[in-house]
Amino acid sequence: MVRSSVWSVAVAAGLLIVSTAGAQVDPGIRPGAINGQPGATPKDPMPLESVSANRPDGILDFYSNGLTRFQEEDTVGGNGLGPRFNFNQCSGCHAQPTIGGSGLPTNPQFTAVNNGIAGPGNNIPTFITLNGPTREVRFPFFFNSNGTVNTSAPNGGVEALFTVSGLQGAGSCSLTQPNFAAAQRTNNIIFRIPTPVFGAGLIENIDDSTLLAIHAANAGNGLGISGTFNRNGNDGTIARFGWKAQNKSLMMFAGEAYNVEMGITNELFTQERPNPEEEVQGRGLPANCLNLGAAGYPEDTTNYTNTSGTPGSTAANATILSDLEAFAQFMRLLAPPIPSTNTPGGAGSISNGKNLFTSIGCAVCHTPNINRTQRSKITDSLDSQTVSAYSDFEIHHMGTRLADNVSQGSAGGDQFRTAPLWGLGQRAFFLHDGSQTSVYSAIDSHRSSGSEATQVATNFFSLNSSQQQDVLNFLRSL
Amino acid sequence: MMLERASLRLAMRVAILAPLVAVCSGRAPGPDEANSVQTVPSGVILVKGAWASASDATTPVPEGGAIANTVYTNAYFGLTYPLSRDWVEKYDGPPPSDSGYYVLAQLEPRDTSNGHIRGSLVITAADLFFSPTRADNALQFVDFTRTHLQADYKVTRAPTQLTLAGHPFVRFDYFSAVAGLHWYVLATQIRCHIVQFVFTSRDVSLLDRLLEGMAAGKLADDEVPVCIKDYASPGNILERVDPVLAGRKFNPIPVRVIIDREGKVKHTHVLSAFPEQSQAIMDALQRWKFKPYLRNGRPAEVETGIMFGHATENGVNATPAATAAGRPSRHW
Repeated sequence: MVRSSVWSVAVAAGLLIVSTAGAQVDPGIRPGAINGQPGATPKDPMPLESVSANRPDGILDFYSNGLTRFQEEDTVGGNGLGPRFNFNQCSGCHAQPTIGGSGLPTNPQFTAVNNGIAGPGNNIPTFITLNGPTREVRFPFFFNSNGTVNTSAPNGGVEALFTVSGLQGAGSCSLTQPNFAAAQRTNNIIFRIPTPVFGAGLIENIDDSTLLAIHAANAGNGLGISGTFNRNGNDGTIARFGWKAQNKSLMMFAGEAYNVEMGITNELFTQERPNPEEEVQGRGLPANCLNLGAAGYPEDTTNYTNTSGTPGSTAANATILSDLEAFAQFMRLLAPPIPSTNTPGGAGSISNGKNLFTSIGCAVCHTPNINRTQRSKITDSLDSQTVSAYSDFEIHHMGTRLADNVSQGSAGGDQFRTAPLWGLGQRAFFLHDGSQTSVYSAIDSHRSSGSEATQVATNFFSLNSSQQQDVLNFLRSL
Repeated sequence: MMLERASLRLAMRVAILAPLVAVCSGRAPGPDEANSVQTVPSGVILVKGAWASASDATTPVPEGGAIANTVYTNAYFGLTYPLSRDWVEKYDGPPPSDSGYYVLAQLEPRDTSNGHIRGSLVITAADLFFSPTRADNALQFVDFTRTHLQADYKVTRAPTQLTLAGHPFVRFDYFSAVAGLHWYVLATQIRCHIVQFVFTSRDVSLLDRLLEGMAAGKLADDEVPVCIKDYASPGNILERVDPVLAGRKFNPIPVRVIIDREGKVKHTHVLSAFPEQSQAIMDALQRWKFKPYLRNGRPAEVETGIMFGHATENGVNATPAATAAGRPSRHW
């Protein structure tokens, strides 16, 4: 029941998005098998092949356990939700076309108050709409006390949408939401949508040398593309997760999200997170908003005394993990999407579009195949595999049109990781802010002052309408 | 004093980011802070990350070219290129990269034809001191491009040396059958950079006309410093002070310096660095002393490159090490 309703909404929202020029049409969200994987359902994504076959013995339990926890609805008293948060379960945001993906065409944040997920005193900001993208919010700059924006004081931290105030377990904690209206009025607001995590274990298992070799091989391009890497500040190796490749590993990605998006402290991020203004003003969170679960910190820990499984069994092994580790396991063991060979537009159009995609230069950044992952100690589907993510995992200047004025790690205000395109065919929203629902418009957004992608997008617009349609069909086949 | 010089035309839309005083001090930003605005301007990059800068505003830098009266002029390269009729630059290029790659200009017809763009020209420069191609000259650079082309491209003119407007160029043409797009590439070496003109169109006759227009371009013969790849080597450095780079960004920081006849650093161009990194490097380089370069037995200005920060495989490291044989270059 759930499966069919979600899918029908998805198809309706994405169907036949007509581009702004010419006869080419974004075919919309691709119908058919979810992620191209027979057997996948909206609540049941597919694990890697070797995980599905339980190689090594016991690994499937870790995947399944992680999937269950990824869907867990957290509460204040139960898991330590909040005191500030964006949603109460990972799968609420990572849901399209199945768990682990990006945002659904219908945004669950819109009904968070009515559904009792957010405290009754919360308002739904105007940029959170029923059929808009699932979003997190950042203010690029701090405000002065007189309400003006101080562009000398970059902020860029996540401003959580909701508070737990008024929810069961929140006690006397009384927090107000950030002043979203003022941020909108002053244009001091940017958005991010969830990044899909299908195939994330493959991305995590690419050695730096492989990425550096691809970077070097592209050095002679005449397209204006350079790129660089966002390096982890601890060991200097290449970070690769998040819209600006700011997160080194899936563990880091999960730990940050658990704290920032859901307000749950964990073994990587051990303190409750105030909003940036509370932090910079030196106040932090009020004492009556701390330790609401009365169980101490971190709220998510290794389950030292877990006895839910048979001692010594693999099921017991999986349940001992903290949520943070279980999330990382789930994401690491998720299978990548499988592209369609004939939908939309037919096999000939998709094949032609794929060739055009390379010929006009898209593939310089959106690298179709990375050969190969390093050896894996985890499971053989991560071992020495080709990664068809359509990304070089570099950060590139994307220019004034896409700039969000948020710096993360080495990435500046207009630098973004090349978004992996696998799974694009069944996504509802595009670009870091979800501002586009049409692939054609998303391509057009690559052209602006300061963008490394201008020339490639120019090449796309040099193609005739039929060729452009083939490229769109190819992209929706992914 | 460090001056922001990156991509001057783009810089008009890019505000200089002041030090993060309010945040770093842990106090709340107050209304008396500089750069207070009622509304954050759209389409402006205010938080820039690693960017280019220079020690003064008068010495030309590669990214300092501009279009005026339908002519692209670049003082650093001594380059003048009259735009084809009704061609414009709709979008500025990105800032210089941390591998020394520049987009000097990207041009296209003002009007589209039934929504389609008829052709384009991108003018780029690659700094041979830092380029991952390891090329030493235009022919090698273009050959690198040729050997790394995607399989579906067909080479229609192998890299060929020719003279254009009195200057040596390498021409290279290729074609994509599936896209119907043709590329004409003209490359030349200037001040240890490979400057490339890359023309793209489905219309060969248009490309031919654009190529003929190249004859109207000029490359000046002004006196410029001799460029030597490995001049910042232990044998030539008499005094050095290493910059202290705050933070752990691990970003490559390519730097070009012009050394005067007395061996002092006359000009510093940081191609890509965070503001505090640039300042530290410029301050340190002011205290470096080199052995004066002698040309025909007489001291001469020399331009060289130094890689600070996270050393790339191909860059010249700040801890000078022997690199590929550097030789004075003054190719036009």
